[in-house]
Amino acid sequence: MDNYAYQLYSQLLKTFWRIFLIILSIAFVMFVFPFVKDVLIIFIIAWLLSILLSPLVDFFESKGLGRSWAILIVMILILTLLVLSFSQIIPGIIRTVESLTSKLQSNIITDFSVKIENFFEKNFNNAELARNVTAKLNDIGVKLLGSLGAFFKSVGSFLASIIIIPFITFFLIKDSRRFKRAMISKVPNRYFELSLNILHKIENQVGNYIQGQAMDALIVGILSTAGLFIINLVFDGPIPYFFFIGMLAGVANLIPYLGPIVGAVPALTLAILNNPPNLGIVLLWIVIVFVIVQVIDNAIVSPLVVSKSVNMHPVIVVTVVIIGGNIAGAMGMLFAVPFTGIIKVTSSQIIWGLKNYRLRPSPITEESYSLEGKS
Amino acid sequence: MENPIWGNSIFRKKKKEGNIYALLKQVPIFSDLKPKELIEVEKIVHRRKYKKSEAVIHMGDPGLGMYIIVKGSVEIIEEDKKAGQKTLAKLTEGAFFGDLALLDESPRSASAVAIEDSDIIGFFRPDFLDLLKRKPKLGIKVLFALARVVGERLRQTNELLSKIQEEKDKARHG
Repeated sequence: MDNYAYQLYSQLLKTFWRIFLIILSIAFVMFVFPFVKDVLIIFIIAWLLSILLSPLVDFFESKGLGRSWAILIVMILILTLLVLSFSQIIPGIIRTVESLTSKLQSNIITDFSVKIENFFEKNFNNAELARNVTAKLNDIGVKLLGSLGAFFKSVGSFLASIIIIPFITFFLIKDSRRFKRAMISKVPNRYFELSLNILHKIENQVGNYIQGQAMDALIVGILSTAGLFIINLVFDGPIPYFFFIGMLAGVANLIPYLGPIVGAVPALTLAILNNPPNLGIVLLWIVIVFVIVQVIDNAIVSPLVVSKSVNMHPVIVVTVVIIGGNIAGAMGMLFAVPFTGIIKVTSSQIIWGLKNYRLRPSPITEESYSLEGKS
Repeated sequence: MENPIWGNSIFRKKKKEGNIYALLKQVPIFSDLKPKELIEVEKIVHRRKYKKSEAVIHMGDPGLGMYIIVKGSVEIIEEDKKAGQKTLAKLTEGAFFGDLALLDESPRSASAVAIEDSDIIGFFRPDFLDLLKRKPKLGIKVLFALARVVGERLRQTNELLSKIQEEKDKARHG
């Protein structure tokens, strides 16, 4: 009995120290987080890039190139592409946003407000309500575009200081196996296979999910750009920077359900501000283009490229997008769903491992084995 | 006759002195590989140390890969809650087990327990699949050798079965 009490005491002591260490770790993370936030963001971006670029690197490696050379070639290709597109797109975006901000405060928007006021007065006999609505809309528009401009300017300055991201990405791709092996070598034998299997499954599914999302965003971006380009051809260019607007729609598509609306709004706004002669028809065609792109995405692209293991209920999607928005604004909204997807995959794989692996000593092998002294 | 599933002395060549590289060369699924290719394999295997009586794999757990004994020895045990445990084989240095798990995640058909302090190399399916993707030529060599081992084992099992059948028939007909 004394022995039992001693065992219980030592078990309790162990549990206490474990809980204490966990609390200490959480407190440490919370204390350190503000100081390492920027580094953490750089690492997350590098990690995402390493996941996106790995298939290309593997492809070049399978053709007989050394891994380091394969990574270098892929990175040079991607960097050239990025520099070329950013040097074309970023100044354009800043110019558009600035001109839009000034247009919003200029006569066009005033004319538009007057039209809305007249419409409300005619139909609802309430000019006060109309004035309130237009004032609110104007305010939201200016604020939104102002923050968008600041965002892209900060992205621009960020771009200048991100030489470190390709550097980290290079080593993450090159040495990921070595890191994984070093990590797994510290795991006790009892949890070794479980950890290795779970780690691999998480790596695989998260990789597939992120690559699928990126591919989906790219295809939706290309389809939207093509649609807007056709509208521009037919209606004599009512949507400036259609390439950027189309690609933005692709990126916005990362947010399920809300993304397509977020993607269509800039195109509609630009068309309204451009005020072409047949505005109604142009707006209708923009809506049709985005609806067609969504139908193609939902019926063909998404089922083919996006992993099914990360299906989420619409309520969860909307909730995490709101939470993401509250934590980190537009970027938070964009990454909320992928981040939740990663958490979902990770937790489901851990649960799978705990269900399928025998973690306690087997009554037949280890305990009875040593008791029977079979060796 | 040796157990065709667990006994692998027919595949094992005489152990040479040396490091993991030399040991891997003795394992049939790696025996056709060139030195450069063996170095690639060496980079992705996991080396583990097991204490006496410590389980390497548990019967019923999802299969993940194969193990090669560098030093020490391992007992392969079939567990049954009612009948207890039955030793299927005792494996020593240079022997390997669990190779079928390189092909799928089927539950382990037996447990493996270290009889003494042992040094064991693990070669696992995720790393093997990754190797197939990155170095297809090397991966296919390993895959082909694995198919040869499995085929040989199947042939042995068939021989064993027909022998048992013959003995049964003889006993039945007097």
